[in-house]
Amino acid sequence: MELTQELRAHTGLKWVLDKLSPMSPFGRAAIRRLPWYGPGQRAALEEEFSNIAQAIPLWAENGAPFRAMTRCLPLFHDIRGSLDREAGSPFDLVELFEIKHFLLTLEQLIAAYERLAPFAGIALISMGEALDRIDPSGRRLPAFSIEDSQHPELGPLRAEKNALEARIRAAAGEERAALLECRRLLAVREDALELEVRRTMTAALMACLPEFLANMETLGRLDLILAKALLARRYGCIRPVLAEDGRICLRQVVHPQVAAALEERGDSFTPVDITLGRGCTVITGANMGGKTVSLRAVSLSLLLCQCGFFVFAEEACLPLFDRVALILADSGPGSGGLSSFGGEVHALDTLLRESRDTVFFLALDEFARGTNPQEGAALARTLVRYLNGLRCTALMTTHYDGVSDAAAAHYQVAGLVRTVDGDEGDDPRRRIARRMDYRLQPAPPGAPCPRDALRVCRLLKLDPELLALFSEEG
Amino acid sequence: MLREHIGSAEIVTLIGLCKNAGKTTALRRLMAELEGERLGLTSVGRDGEATDLVTGTEKPDLYVRAGDLFATARGMLALCDATCAVEALTGVMTPLGEVAVLRALSDGYIQLAGPSAAGQLSPLAAEFRRLGADRVLIDGAAGRKSLAGAGAEGCAILCAGASVDRSMEAVVAETAHVCALFGAEPPEPPGLRTAVEALETRFALFTPEGEPLELPLDEGGTPRWAKLPQRPCALWAGGAITDPLLKTLARRGAPTALITANPTHVLAGREAMALFARAGGTLAVRRTLAIAAVCANPWSAYGWQFEPAAFLAALRAAIPLPVVNVREED
Repeated sequence: MELTQELRAHTGLKWVLDKLSPMSPFGRAAIRRLPWYGPGQRAALEEEFSNIAQAIPLWAENGAPFRAMTRCLPLFHDIRGSLDREAGSPFDLVELFEIKHFLLTLEQLIAAYERLAPFAGIALISMGEALDRIDPSGRRLPAFSIEDSQHPELGPLRAEKNALEARIRAAAGEERAALLECRRLLAVREDALELEVRRTMTAALMACLPEFLANMETLGRLDLILAKALLARRYGCIRPVLAEDGRICLRQVVHPQVAAALEERGDSFTPVDITLGRGCTVITGANMGGKTVSLRAVSLSLLLCQCGFFVFAEEACLPLFDRVALILADSGPGSGGLSSFGGEVHALDTLLRESRDTVFFLALDEFARGTNPQEGAALARTLVRYLNGLRCTALMTTHYDGVSDAAAAHYQVAGLVRTVDGDEGDDPRRRIARRMDYRLQPAPPGAPCPRDALRVCRLLKLDPELLALFSEEG
Repeated sequence: MLREHIGSAEIVTLIGLCKNAGKTTALRRLMAELEGERLGLTSVGRDGEATDLVTGTEKPDLYVRAGDLFATARGMLALCDATCAVEALTGVMTPLGEVAVLRALSDGYIQLAGPSAAGQLSPLAAEFRRLGADRVLIDGAAGRKSLAGAGAEGCAILCAGASVDRSMEAVVAETAHVCALFGAEPPEPPGLRTAVEALETRFALFTPEGEPLELPLDEGGTPRWAKLPQRPCALWAGGAITDPLLKTLARRGAPTALITANPTHVLAGREAMALFARAGGTLAVRRTLAIAAVCANPWSAYGWQFEPAAFLAALRAAIPLPVVNVREED
């Protein structure tokens, strides 16, 4: 499944990925092409989860081998560009330096990794032979030069050149010019010999290309596991249990991006409990009651789980889908010349066409709210019925009455239930938050949508004259 | 001869008044005089080529000794004939590739093409020292404009050559102007000195004693000069000090004490500086960068030349600093 930029942004996956701190260029590359663990990849996903679970205590303990490993990872340079070359084109000195640096760092990292319990599926290939080829003296110093021993003629030639250079230092005038000319010829010969050495070395190193590429791939996966573990540790994320029965069950789920924004304002996020079975579940509730946030939190949890991340909840039991989609009523301006309703319908149509014969999850935020309310309500109701007949799990928020009648299940935001006095001078957002119980409560199908719009207007300090008119109408 | 003027300065930056001012000749001479020291060599931008790429005039080569360190772009390596070891990469990208730090394992010719942005030289100098360099020599490439913000440590050698202008008087006046700029001292009031110590903003306004004042900015972040208080003020400018800036400040109606990071930031010419000074303006620097000596080159790359003795005498009369003839073999 493709994780589009839109889906990443709307669900908050982008925010989570931005919080990852990979240490190597290979880890950064691994984040750019996250795997999607679909229904057939349960075993591989469990393996990834076990690796994360294994890495979390390593961050806490921060023992010597682990520290050595995390010290090595940031030292790597991405040498894939150097390795991607025409056959026969020799590496230059700087490229050989970079390859030596890679091999030295790899050797150190492997030594540290071998002292830890191995992660499943993370096996680095020792490249000692390649290193010996690039560092024949075995001194393992960071600098790179072409050593005398690498060509039988190189040592004698350099000795001759050095002797000449000593004479040049002492010479002046025409003598010096003549000696410099002799030196120039030797330098040209030295360059030719070095080129020969570079060619042989390049051929030997390029023969190890599969090992280089496999190691860089593995380093990326290792780095990503460590980054996921650090994220899980930082935010208290938990390992999801993979559901057998197709039901989504989240307890105390949090949307981390919204939670962080609230925290910045000095407020806190109310975690939500929700269980979703096959068919379409409907959420109704007051304006500003967090319906959309709950919708995003569920979608994000599914995406994270299927990308091999722990999730932001206290308990999560999640099935695997072929595809997870989120359709927002307001997906931004001008989506290809379509109105917000047109955009929704187009996105829905595309999804349904592409998801035939697959198991998918679909979250819909106030479907059809951009059209005539009577017609919109009827459309939403019909869509709920239609989705109930597909192999999908869907979640829809709505303000329309009569939609939940058709739903497989119905949740309602507890709403503006708290009585608070004496905060009239406070920020209206805060006043609403203080009175709002954001938790989701199971409600009977067909239970009417709450009539909280006027109270919200009052708390937002709407102009009294207009509010009076609204009240008469309401 | 040059060596005695630079003393124990760990970093020496060569600054040319223009292209072909004799900077590389001065660098070669300094390298010869510093025989026995392990040098770290780099340039601001590209230098060391046999023919100057910009003006097509002949340029002297740089010939290093075994053990010397140098930083150059990887694209230049094919033009270096010393046996080399790659010691480190700097992460600094240039049109000729990343700048690498190399150690000469033999004597030989090298081509320098170092970092060109301000702020990249300090870490490089530190890297040279980590690798064992006794002294770092920086070739400041074409004209002081390309040096803006660089080389704010150690001392400088100013290379003044006939290539600047056909008129000897003009060359002497320009040299004296730059020497005067480099003579700028840190601000006198201790409060003001402390206030600008860690500033990273482009502009900041203070009372002459260093009390912060509000500086009205437009949408682009440029100060609204007309709104500056009509009394003496101290202005910090983090970027380049240009002719338009000095002219604006000269016209504002009250004296300004202008403070810049170091003298290489001042790109303004003589006239603008004089206008600014006539309006009561003064110039101070956060870090001084002393000119240790002026290297005079009476030969122009464009065909004319000054009478060496007269040129040196004129420079010595106008400048209170040691003046050395770059080609004098002593």
